[in-house]
Amino acid sequence: MAVKIKTKNGLIDISNGVIATVVGNAATSNYGVVGMASKNAIRDGVDVILNRANYKRGVVVKSEDNEITVDVYIIVGYGLKISEVSRNVQDSVKFSLKNQLGIDTRAVNVIVQSVKVLDE
Amino acid sequence: MVLKEIDSNKFRDMVRVATHRMGRNAEFVNSLNVFPVPDGDTGTNMNLTIESGAKAVAQNTSTSVGDLTESLAKGMLMGARGNSGVISSQLFRGIYKATQGMKTLNAQELANAFSNGVATAYKAVMKPVEGTILTVARVAAQEGANKANETDDVEEVMEAIVNGAKKSLKTTPDLLPVLKQVGVVDSGGQGLLFIYEGFLEGILGENFADRYQPDEGEMDEMINAMHHQSVQTQLSTQDIKNGYCTEIMVDLTADIPDKKPFNLEEFRNHLSELGDSLLAVSDDEVAKVHVHTEHPGDVFLYGSQFGQLGKIKIDNMRIQHETIVNDSDEQQESVDFAVIAVASGNGIRKLFESEGVNRIISGGQTMNPSTQDIIDAIKKSGAQKAIVLPNNGNIVMAAKQAAEVSDIPVGIVPTKTISQGLTAMLSFDPDLSVEENVDSMTEDLDTVVSGEVTQANRDTTINDVEVHANDYLGIIDGDIEVDNPDLVTATINMIEKMLDEDSEIITIMFGRDSNKKQAEQVVAGLQANHDDLEFEVHDGGQPVYNFLVSVE
Repeated sequence: MAVKIKTKNGLIDISNGVIATVVGNAATSNYGVVGMASKNAIRDGVDVILNRANYKRGVVVKSEDNEITVDVYIIVGYGLKISEVSRNVQDSVKFSLKNQLGIDTRAVNVIVQSVKVLDE
Repeated sequence: MVLKEIDSNKFRDMVRVATHRMGRNAEFVNSLNVFPVPDGDTGTNMNLTIESGAKAVAQNTSTSVGDLTESLAKGMLMGARGNSGVISSQLFRGIYKATQGMKTLNAQELANAFSNGVATAYKAVMKPVEGTILTVARVAAQEGANKANETDDVEEVMEAIVNGAKKSLKTTPDLLPVLKQVGVVDSGGQGLLFIYEGFLEGILGENFADRYQPDEGEMDEMINAMHHQSVQTQLSTQDIKNGYCTEIMVDLTADIPDKKPFNLEEFRNHLSELGDSLLAVSDDEVAKVHVHTEHPGDVFLYGSQFGQLGKIKIDNMRIQHETIVNDSDEQQESVDFAVIAVASGNGIRKLFESEGVNRIISGGQTMNPSTQDIIDAIKKSGAQKAIVLPNNGNIVMAAKQAAEVSDIPVGIVPTKTISQGLTAMLSFDPDLSVEENVDSMTEDLDTVVSGEVTQANRDTTINDVEVHANDYLGIIDGDIEVDNPDLVTATINMIEKMLDEDSEIITIMFGRDSNKKQAEQVVAGLQANHDDLEFEVHDGGQPVYNFLVSVE
């Protein structure tokens, strides 16, 4: 599973790992996102914050003809407006995919796996 | 008269004035918005966020500041919009936590509240980017804390917070490269400064100016951001509706006959009829206007009714447009090696641009550009060396003449069709010399078969093909090979003749007089007999030719 872009010179094949890195970086650059979570909460635990090398465990990419749908699993800081943080994640993920990879995104589904209480 | 504490009434004033000030300037903040996603809504988002907080404060009848900061924070949390809104809501959450249970705030408590706001705000971000609203809030709180060590006057502390925010906002372009490229300060930081300035005005209890007027420098920033955004929407030059970027200053103090009284609101409304991208500001002495219009003269005439015209500037943006595009962040360096292509049709332009062509000269299908047009395009590119793609047999000569008289080395790749031009572009390498590029780009031309479909205008016989007026003709590499009254059939027959066993990719560009559906019918008709071919369909938008086809 990867995104294939046809050009006159041939095929550009962007692996899911690359897409996951772009998506993960875009998501975590949003205010209020305190980490990427694993899509596999049962195996990895709900509260595990993935490090950068493992972002792909928190991103699911489904592609069809140059358009993709991504699921992003995030952890949000407690006391923030979660719906708005999620919306910001959608915007920035969409923008980064278009801006960096030239990929149109059909949908960005944000899954908030858990909230983290930030000591005050 | 030293003010030693902020009571609940004072705090209500602060919130009210800050909200008012933010709302008044939301548009300005929108105009600066280029980071993280340049969608021009930062001002709107911050405004909605603080409004929601102000509403909650207004509904709370408590006489204790600690209760009001709680309402403000909760209201902002409920109404948070966008990144900037979420950050602001968190900032004020920290302020509320630090002021819980306090009936009034003294200078030290005020400074502590702002510091705690910043600490709380920084906790909810994984990768704090410097040069944003967070930086501005942090420096502002530091200045406030320093001042609180010296004085117990809350006015002075709030003033220090505002000055810190101002100072920090000015440095944001040095911290965040994207801001520097566009020549603006951070939009979220600017929004926060408006809020803080509103707090200060609320404390001072002055009749704050009803409308904040940006100064010269800010006006220039707004203009930069506006131009940047219009480039980001990737307008092509012929899409510019209002071609002259017009700026005037009107000296409102000058005595002129039949002088009309000046009212900014009316002035704006009238000017907005004359064009778009309007920015107008004024104080008692001078009004400054920036507007994009087709009729600069009307702007001068209108402005001169209110006083003397001072500075006047007109730029033709159609000429500038290419330059701005080259300055935009996709191309940070000015091009050293330009590629200039002759083409018509928006879609075809975009295809060439996506392959790295820097300048497009209109023409090639109905009107051939002159040698002079090509020389001008070479000059305007500002490059050290250039390649020209004529994309039409009749223009190759003119291009060669232009190359001879040019001051810089110019190579001509003798492309006779759009398809050849697009193929040649694939071999372009800016690191090689002009000659090396001409060789490698020319080499591939014979791997492409070009087809053009157009309508015949009279009866004739050419190459043993009987041509009837209004039939569709298939022209392969310049020779008429097919005639058919039906567009799709003519195109399919033409492509069939273009194929050989090595053919792999068929590119079909439909023009102004045909549509995607017809192109898809062509593809379907061919796929029935050839399952090994790949098809690409583009909206070329070209005049004259219903379809341009290339087979590789």
